[in-house]
Amino acid sequence: MTIVKSQWINFLRQYGPIPRNDNMYDEAIHRILQQKKIKPIQISSEYMEELIENFQSESPASVILTGTAGDGKTYYCREIWSYFGGSLDTWESRDKVKQLKLPNSNKTLFVVKDLSELQDFEKKDILEQLSSILQNPDEDKMFLIAANDGQLIEAWKHANPKDNPQIERVKKHIEDLLVNGEKERPGIKLKLYNLSQVNAAKLFPQIVHAILNHPGWNECQNCSLREGDGNNKCPIWENRKRMEGSNDGQLILTRLTDLLELCELNDIHLPIRQLFLLVSNMLLGHPDAKDHLMNCSEAARIVSENKTALASIYRNIFGENLPEKRRENTRVFEALGKFGVGYETNNFIDNVLIFGADDPEFERYYQDWVVNDSYYGANQIYRANQKDYLEGRAEIADDFLLSLRSQRQRLFFIIPKEQEEESHFWRLTAFHYAGEYLNEVYRRAQHGKVSSQITARIVQGLNRIFTGFFVRESDKLILATSGSHSQAKVSRIFEEEISVPKRHGQGVQIVMKNGKPCLEVKLSHLLPAEYLPLNLVRFEFLSRVAEGALPGSFSRECYEDILDFKSKLLNLVERLRLEEGDDSDPNQLTFQIIRRLTQEGTIDHNTVEVNCHA
Amino acid sequence: MHERLPRPSNVDAMDMWVDEAIWGHRLYDEQTPWLCLMEFFNVLVAEHEAGRAFVETGPNTLKYKPKARMHLRNILFNNPKISLIATKYKDNSKEAWAQWFKEMEARKAGVNSDVNFRYLEERFPSFEDFYLVVQFLRRTTIEGENNKRWTSQFVFPYGPDCLYEDLDVKGNSDRRFFARTGELLYLMLTRSGKGPLILDKLQQSVLNKENKFNRLVAALQPKDMSQERTSIREGAYLPYLSLPEYQALADDWLRLLDSNIPKFDVFPHLVNITGLHMIIYALNRAREVLGYREKLTFVIEIVAPKKTIIRELSADCYAEHNNLSKRAVEAYIRKIEETEEWKELNNVPQAIEFLQKKFIWPKDVDELEEDGFRGNTPEQLLEFFIEKAIKRHKQHVDNFHRVWGKEVGFSSRRGARRIRYAPQDLFLKSLVYCVVPKRMEFQEFLEELYDRYGFIIGERQAHKFAQYGQADLQAFAENAKRLEQRLASMGLLRRLSDACAYVENPFGKREEEAG
Repeated sequence: MTIVKSQWINFLRQYGPIPRNDNMYDEAIHRILQQKKIKPIQISSEYMEELIENFQSESPASVILTGTAGDGKTYYCREIWSYFGGSLDTWESRDKVKQLKLPNSNKTLFVVKDLSELQDFEKKDILEQLSSILQNPDEDKMFLIAANDGQLIEAWKHANPKDNPQIERVKKHIEDLLVNGEKERPGIKLKLYNLSQVNAAKLFPQIVHAILNHPGWNECQNCSLREGDGNNKCPIWENRKRMEGSNDGQLILTRLTDLLELCELNDIHLPIRQLFLLVSNMLLGHPDAKDHLMNCSEAARIVSENKTALASIYRNIFGENLPEKRRENTRVFEALGKFGVGYETNNFIDNVLIFGADDPEFERYYQDWVVNDSYYGANQIYRANQKDYLEGRAEIADDFLLSLRSQRQRLFFIIPKEQEEESHFWRLTAFHYAGEYLNEVYRRAQHGKVSSQITARIVQGLNRIFTGFFVRESDKLILATSGSHSQAKVSRIFEEEISVPKRHGQGVQIVMKNGKPCLEVKLSHLLPAEYLPLNLVRFEFLSRVAEGALPGSFSRECYEDILDFKSKLLNLVERLRLEEGDDSDPNQLTFQIIRRLTQEGTIDHNTVEVNCHA
Repeated sequence: MHERLPRPSNVDAMDMWVDEAIWGHRLYDEQTPWLCLMEFFNVLVAEHEAGRAFVETGPNTLKYKPKARMHLRNILFNNPKISLIATKYKDNSKEAWAQWFKEMEARKAGVNSDVNFRYLEERFPSFEDFYLVVQFLRRTTIEGENNKRWTSQFVFPYGPDCLYEDLDVKGNSDRRFFARTGELLYLMLTRSGKGPLILDKLQQSVLNKENKFNRLVAALQPKDMSQERTSIREGAYLPYLSLPEYQALADDWLRLLDSNIPKFDVFPHLVNITGLHMIIYALNRAREVLGYREKLTFVIEIVAPKKTIIRELSADCYAEHNNLSKRAVEAYIRKIEETEEWKELNNVPQAIEFLQKKFIWPKDVDELEEDGFRGNTPEQLLEFFIEKAIKRHKQHVDNFHRVWGKEVGFSSRRGARRIRYAPQDLFLKSLVYCVVPKRMEFQEFLEELYDRYGFIIGERQAHKFAQYGQADLQAFAENAKRLEQRLASMGLLRRLSDACAYVENPFGKREEEAG
């Protein structure tokens, strides 16, 4: 029996969550690439073409690359450096600032591949030079600076902007670009690329593809564990096969990309390095391996000890192979952990998992989903634990519950699309409406109209929060106040209602704004609309409230946010009244006081007219 | 040391003058921050009507005439049978009014015997409408449902017609809940010099008669208010003519009033910020007496799921602060031991005369004996006095730090045995609205909180103090991280990357100030 010790696997391991000094990440990878003569993993870089075009032009702009650790700043710098003829030796030298000549503009490009490497006085110097170049475009120097956005902001403090209005102007300009997510603004010839803005959901499939198709896998050809029988198969190879997903329409990739997309829509950004970490961990994770990542010898050992079930790719996706503290401190697992996959469930799924062997109602699903997968599904250990659990043996309860969690995590990636609805699939996560949000709202709104049923539900949720009553009203938005302050829970003064279907300049609908879904509320032709950004949490919150949850549950912060939005709308009503002029009788006061909720769930309000003159 | 203004001349009825000399007349624990604000509004409106808002002609000469508005208060808070009458006579408005007038005639209190409520019938189309309005206004009561007497229930301050002073059920001012802390607030803002600016801002809210809800409340009152009993209130005493605390307080008020917060929504934040400033004022006066010169600081814990060292540090800090006022009282009295006059005293009668001059205590010799004084030297008398003074101090002023800290959500006991500075969400919101112009980098925000209020939250602030070692600094760094997360979950923070976050004030108007 020959087991191959693959260099490629060792290399892939470097991308995983092994403890290591973060600053040396890129250098470490690069060194191994050189030493072991491995072909680097190539994915197309979003901005590379644009950047090269810029520096090739006759009047290039200075560039700042920003983002967080792992977004690829150093990578971009090096690629640009070598494209324009910079030597590898110079790149690896200790000089913190390197220079080369650009072809068509005859300008000298100064490259700072990591601003944080510089001492304070050096940073000050660079930023002062940058400021003066930006104010004077005839200068023959240019800069390409890579810095974490935090570092960038910090560094400006050292340049004493208060003493120098020129520097202050540049500082504010850059800050505006950063905070507003813009690349360029008129007035200063500078391009800011925030690599944190690249959508992880777009990158992830590319990364997976590049890794799955890497020639390094050829090394596995002659390994005897590759196609063992039963459970004597190499777990790494098994994980690779599952990731390829040729039998299930790439379900793992699809579902995982969905989760990553939802992270982005929840304002959680995952840099490219974290995505590499995820893929590496998925393929190689095992709780008992060294640093919890397998290499070939470990894989062989694990097979011989019959512990392959714990190499489950489905568990590895959530970092279950890692100790809790490490998992919590690794961004990608922290982000994916927020979905609660494995911990959340519904009766149907648990019935299948626990009683499926014996209960005819669930047997079919049990066969399909659990028994069919003898490697990671119903293997011997699972079945034994299940039997013990059902027979009431309390001592092993914990073990079984642990494996139940793993099974739920697995189910998330294998339940086919056709069965999503009947299994209440998204209840496997903390966001029951996530599927609808992704497909019917986010993706739909990009080139079509979101279903009015969904808008109606959101409106009903808003109405319940705006009034504090359990209203059943989704045709109009009800604006009520408590008179004193907007954060009051119950509001009894009826101010205005806004029609949901378009009418007389009013209208409520879900639209896309800056790439994210928003609720747009129009009050009148005379005034601009107000927008409530609908991230995943808010969408979930409003949907749950509409379906009966109390506003205080799930998310108190959401609740207060929505009340703040009501304030904004009330301000709009106020403005409209001023625009339209007040022709009310000064001797009369009119109020609409909400008395109660009718049987049908609508608001019953009384008009009270007070004669002040009497 | 700031120079203390002379004691007013008409205070001889008081037991002694010790707390008042240090903190003013007076800080009072049973007057909550909201009621302090209400008392302040009453003073302001009264002075505004007299044409001298925020003007102090001579130090500590405040004399104002607040309104009583007993008609309104009887209708809103001395009216338990109204819902019964409204239900019973639902379809017969005339009868309902008749019954109600009869009921109020028997019940009314604090008004002249010839007062009636008949004017209301003309104003409302039906009794039911009247009832709905009363119900609605009752729901806006300050501090919600509470057990206080009906004359201490306050309707929301929509405008000048909503304001009235606290009274007992007989209609007399017993200073139970309007205990003058609001008067001190008024004097502080006056002495800050920023009064006119604040006045201008308040014109749109509490001073605006035209507000719809103010007019509604006015509609419950008779047109002719001249029959109302009004009394002059005077006697407020704020010891110092100018202090940096007055400026800081006024500046924060202006920042809040200046921002885009809807006008009545700003009141809860004014309450919180005022509470914080009053606590700082109280602690600083005590520290001054005790001779502390360094900046007042607070170790702030951002609550964590598990116990951290910050909790201990904060609890220790709180405990130390809580003790300061008692110690200051003793130190203040003992200062006289250093005077020549004291050293020349030979006997108790001389000592009595001396103490009476300084502290208006004791009232007389007989009282002293009744009280249990058996000594026969000035030193013994002094010790006896200190004991009495501290006992008196513990009744109210000693509790101020604890009660107000809790009321504004600055300190709490949550999840632990000891009280410490663990701010609640609303308090944090108030801080952000006050400190952040439109957006501010997070580390800068922490530094600003330190500069303005002495808050030690993150490691950079803790680093300034030698006593915190490496482990402590790490704990402070995590503390700051928790604040980041908390602000983010409240929608007040935008994170650009791991190392970079901006605190955002959704109501901020001002562009970020340079630097």
